[in-house]
Amino acid sequence: MSAPQIGFAGMTHLGINSAAAAAARGFQTLWFDTDTARIAALAKGELPVVEPDLPETIAAHGARIRHTSQASDLRGCAVVYIACDVPTDDRGGSDLLTVDALIETVSANIADDAVLVILCQVPPGFTRRLARAPARLYYQVETLIFGRAMERALHPERFIIGCADPAQALPAAYHEFLTAFGCPLLPMRYESAELAKIAINCCLVSSVTVANTLAELSERIGADWHEIVPALKLDRRIGPYSYLAPGLGLAGGNLERDLATVLQLAGETGSEAGLITSFVASSRHRKDWVLRTLHREVFARQPQAVLGILGLAYKENTHSTKNSPALALIRHLAPWQLRIHDPVVPVAAAQHARAVGCDSPLAAATGADALVIMTPWPAFRELKPADLARAMRGCIVIDPLRVLDGRALVAAGFEYLTLGAPPQRPH
Amino acid sequence: MLEHLNAAPTRPERVVIIGAGGFVGGAILKKLRDAGTQVLALTRRELDLLDAGATAKLAQMLKPQDSVVMVSAVAPAKNVTMLMQNLKMAEAVCAALAEKSIAHLLYISSDAVYADDANPVTEDSYCAPTTLHGMMHAARELMLKSATTAPFAALRPTLIYGADDPHNGYGPNRFRRQAGKGEPISIFGEGEERRDHIWVEDVAALAVRMLERRSRGALNAVTGVSTSFHDIAQMVAAQFPGAVVKSAPRPGPRPHLLHRFFDITQCLKAFPDFRFTPLREGLGHSQTDQD
Repeated sequence: MSAPQIGFAGMTHLGINSAAAAAARGFQTLWFDTDTARIAALAKGELPVVEPDLPETIAAHGARIRHTSQASDLRGCAVVYIACDVPTDDRGGSDLLTVDALIETVSANIADDAVLVILCQVPPGFTRRLARAPARLYYQVETLIFGRAMERALHPERFIIGCADPAQALPAAYHEFLTAFGCPLLPMRYESAELAKIAINCCLVSSVTVANTLAELSERIGADWHEIVPALKLDRRIGPYSYLAPGLGLAGGNLERDLATVLQLAGETGSEAGLITSFVASSRHRKDWVLRTLHREVFARQPQAVLGILGLAYKENTHSTKNSPALALIRHLAPWQLRIHDPVVPVAAAQHARAVGCDSPLAAATGADALVIMTPWPAFRELKPADLARAMRGCIVIDPLRVLDGRALVAAGFEYLTLGAPPQRPH
Repeated sequence: MLEHLNAAPTRPERVVIIGAGGFVGGAILKKLRDAGTQVLALTRRELDLLDAGATAKLAQMLKPQDSVVMVSAVAPAKNVTMLMQNLKMAEAVCAALAEKSIAHLLYISSDAVYADDANPVTEDSYCAPTTLHGMMHAARELMLKSATTAPFAALRPTLIYGADDPHNGYGPNRFRRQAGKGEPISIFGEGEERRDHIWVEDVAALAVRMLERRSRGALNAVTGVSTSFHDIAQMVAAQFPGAVVKSAPRPGPRPHLLHRFFDITQCLKAFPDFRFTPLREGLGHSQTDQD
């Protein structure tokens, strides 16, 4: 018996990476989107997203990939994933209209015995409300990480599968597809799976919030949070993969969405969720760390300072600027002249009248009074303190995420400001 | 969060200051006049808000294009009588605003509207006053906001200092007066409590900026730097040759919340190029002004 064909509907970040992983695991895949232009571009190998290893994976397994914008082509698929990204607003609320429309289109065209799997982020209660026969409708948790999407899709830690009745066996084709990834399967009721996704993200946010809160305290009492992190990671109750790196607040949209969902559900059910409110407030506070640091360390001394800014994407290895700390910062820097470089995102995204786009990190630093590194792109690590000292007019480096070697910069005469440690200045 | 309805600073057609004879009102008046803005300055002489005819008198003076600054208060409101007087004054203004539409309303409030244990305080901190004075300002904010359809802003200053300060509260103003009279500067205990103090000129400058941008919302008038009373006393002493700082027993128990800090991020966003006068420098100005 040949392997079942797996369909993916919604060719956005989630859909493309998931479909590429399915092809890599040996399954014939059908890539469907109602947007004909998007499908035409994909067929030509043009990707709307940036992810490490994604182009290579697609190239290596292209023989198992077929593109279509005809919904009727989905009829040949044994399993069809609804895999579009779900847009969020500024407050983390989900816009489910796209998902609803896609589910309607797909449901009307797939075979009666096909399995429909909701892979995109939907709030608890969403899946059970759908009209499809429960035995052929599932919700599967996605754990996509921007910048590591391919790795996560190919090597999932487990599959969390929301079922109408978890006591019933999974349909054969769906089971065959999932077991090909060689990880544990965790069937549970729809609502549990939908909430499991949120629970995972709340745990991550919890760790990040602890890190951010204590990193700020470290900055003020002379501790270095980065010295503390290894001690925590060696504690089995906390763990080696825990999210303990301080950051500039939550970004990307997905974590914020889950916090917003919990707050909404708590509001609707009377459940106490003060902790989540604190997560949101902490994130909002942390987001402005660079702005506060700039005013205190740069503008207070030099009101007409020129700033070099490295990075606009919300994190490295992605084109996404959703909730990007860099863009949030730049919105409040209208009076100042900026020199900006990002390897992928164009300077126009900054929407700043006095911003100049630069074609290299060093070009952005040239003539700047202070250099601010907002995205930890690997290329920025190549910057040498001696080159910066020659290029820059001033001697302040604000590097929240420790892309550069602070000690080397201080030795080269720079003042170095980073998250989790007091300002470091030349003696 | 402050929202500017004027994309760029624009001189208001006319500013009506209710309470122009006071410490803060006077500073705002001077700044506006220095900038050439037309001002209708109302002191208690022109308009006593506790008079029966105050509403009609004020309503008769207001024009649709006016930006109104309400800064008149019997402060601090130490008891129920003073609280009620302040509310009555606000009631008169509210009644006038109900009769006459205006372009913009700015209320000079206080950081006393926030809960004592908010730390650091931001404009998003809960308004949960623990004093009659704080409750008075919180109530007046709501009263005024509900009385007008014009954009409403509240400026919430923390402890203000300056040469003309009529109060003699514990802090820079009292310390300067003590040193000026050749008395020891008296701090309670070790004077370790840290507080934010803002120079009255900076409060006035923020108020003028809010008028020029026709801002809506709330902004704290705070510097973001909290200094201990001990250090403030030393700064003042340095300006008076021979002045000494002496510890005195606290008048009451050591406060539960020893320090108060403010996060000024929203001000950095609202007015990116605004520079607060550092305390040492402001104390120097206050001294010069008094001389």
